[in-house]
Amino acid sequence: MSPNVTITHLSDLTPPSQERTWLTAPHPTLPIVATCSSDKTIRVYSLTNFTLLSTITGGHKRSVRTAAWKPHMSGESVLATGSFDATVGIWRRWDNYGREDGAGMGMTNDNNQTPTDTSDADSADREEDEEEWRFAVLLDGHDSEVKSVSWSASGMLLATCSRDKSIWIWEDLDDGDNNFETVAVMQEHSGDVKCVSWHPSEECLASGSYDDTIRLWREDLDDWGQVACIKGHGGTVWFLDWEGDDAEKWNGPISDSNSESELSALQAQWRSQRALSGPRLISCSDDRTVRVWRRQPKESQQMGAFSSATTGIPSIIRPTGTDEAWEEDAVLPHAHELPVYAVAWSKRTGLVASTGADGRIAIYEERFVTPEKEEKQDDADAMDTASSDVLRTEWVLVGIQDGAHGIYEINHVAWAKRADRGSGGEEEVLVSTADDGSVKVWTVTR
Amino acid sequence: MAEMQNSNPTILNAADLPTRLRPTTTRKSEYGGIFTSALPLAPVDFESPPSSDSEDDNLLEEPIDEQEIYDLISSISDPEHPISLGELAVVSLPDIMIKPTLPDVPDSPLQTVTVLITPTITHCSLATVIGLGVRVRLEQSLPSRFRMDVRIKEGTHSTGDEVNKQLADKERVAAALENGALMGVIAKMMETCH
Repeated sequence: MSPNVTITHLSDLTPPSQERTWLTAPHPTLPIVATCSSDKTIRVYSLTNFTLLSTITGGHKRSVRTAAWKPHMSGESVLATGSFDATVGIWRRWDNYGREDGAGMGMTNDNNQTPTDTSDADSADREEDEEEWRFAVLLDGHDSEVKSVSWSASGMLLATCSRDKSIWIWEDLDDGDNNFETVAVMQEHSGDVKCVSWHPSEECLASGSYDDTIRLWREDLDDWGQVACIKGHGGTVWFLDWEGDDAEKWNGPISDSNSESELSALQAQWRSQRALSGPRLISCSDDRTVRVWRRQPKESQQMGAFSSATTGIPSIIRPTGTDEAWEEDAVLPHAHELPVYAVAWSKRTGLVASTGADGRIAIYEERFVTPEKEEKQDDADAMDTASSDVLRTEWVLVGIQDGAHGIYEINHVAWAKRADRGSGGEEEVLVSTADDGSVKVWTVTR
Repeated sequence: MAEMQNSNPTILNAADLPTRLRPTTTRKSEYGGIFTSALPLAPVDFESPPSSDSEDDNLLEEPIDEQEIYDLISSISDPEHPISLGELAVVSLPDIMIKPTLPDVPDSPLQTVTVLITPTITHCSLATVIGLGVRVRLEQSLPSRFRMDVRIKEGTHSTGDEVNKQLADKERVAAALENGALMGVIAKMMETCH
């Protein structure tokens, strides 16, 4: 492996929590993040100046384990939080961080004011009542620790999961009264459900569990049910993320040895193939591996089902054939010596970051395998990710940051849009969250 | 605990157990009577040596070895007997290993402490609690650069894999630490720790 991205520490988020922090959720549009802490609070930091903006307290009686921002909100931010106290909290706040402290909260990066320029005691007092985080509602239903929460792409549905082995889907009725309706409770997992993650555009939910499986869930004629159960990991599945759905932003794997015309031909072919199977899923596990999963294209799958009845289910029971076949697309190069707690697939660059108990951040890149290269590698390389006779990709470990948080375990990593003054537009930063309460922001440059 | 799972466990003689703490305690209990007349009249306080502070500092700088790990956990009490895990041979010195966590990173300070637990009987449902006690004791006593790997010794328990999976699960251990009832049991087990 020859690392060819540079991971550079940009800043810590300050002041840090004094206790373990579990996860940091970047806001979908604003340059802010929410960090979940064992001290029962959620800290909202600015990615513009890396300082603490608000601390949300008083809602949870135990560690806050997870948080997710509701997408497509404008003028107001909505945050869902999940806690070891078995509840899910919904919090709301009018968007005004930028206006009040001059930190440039809009997504334009031309605001050159320093954070301390305009914030003063007056504005702080004014925002006290109407402009702080408002506790909206507590979603009660799980029997034990809530491990993960996720909003669907539309923002209509919230999925939550717990050590009680269940996944709940709630519908945000958006009736101005903070009412949520329980849409489904799924109990097929045989162990703690560690993570839930919605498909980037469809109403399809993925979950990972202590039972070592990944399951996919869809609604079929008003009933939510399991459409796939992926067995492959040899340990708890700690985290899941989806490939980006937006082809505009990312053109697929890079290739270093092709002419431009060859490259575009490959990309076109690769993209049409990807369009058939849809976004892939990535998972990380206690078994130290990171794996990519691909859905078999619907067309071929249905043909297979009709010809050989591979599902074993009489078609009269499931006339629409919602079952999906998922197959392993790749095992990423070995990079971790201890459980891998988080993986993040950049929607902008396609880079994948993983982290875990070994305190290491690893960056991977997917590349096309050209025919010449393949001959050289012959049968030696197990990383090849063949799903087609024509086009193959491989994942390459392109960067390692050892001891990213010193001696501490890292619980989470996420990509976010860069928003500090030194940035130039579409760059991304990586945000890592560790056991000592520290949250660090990194740049990853090719 | 209404009924004991193992009412007649095999118990080792405390004096036969390996320890670095022994000189202090044994001198007092075994030889104290014989040498009393020969000792100076000024009372010798073995419990709190005058230089304990500086000694503690020195200890932190010294590398931590298997014996030190053993001394930390052998004095934990069994949840159903007022007997230490060392005396019950639930933990033993040869079943403790310290290894570099990242062998491919020579300058990494991370070390993994492996402790293999031998339950007194193969179906002991308290194995998880004992393992949790050992893990909590180590987490509270050792610097953060140590990674804990507390497991049931292979072949000594009917549901060893299940117990091991729970003990290795960071999230479950963290949640257990916030569970008052469970921590009450663990605290009781640790009352006998030095």
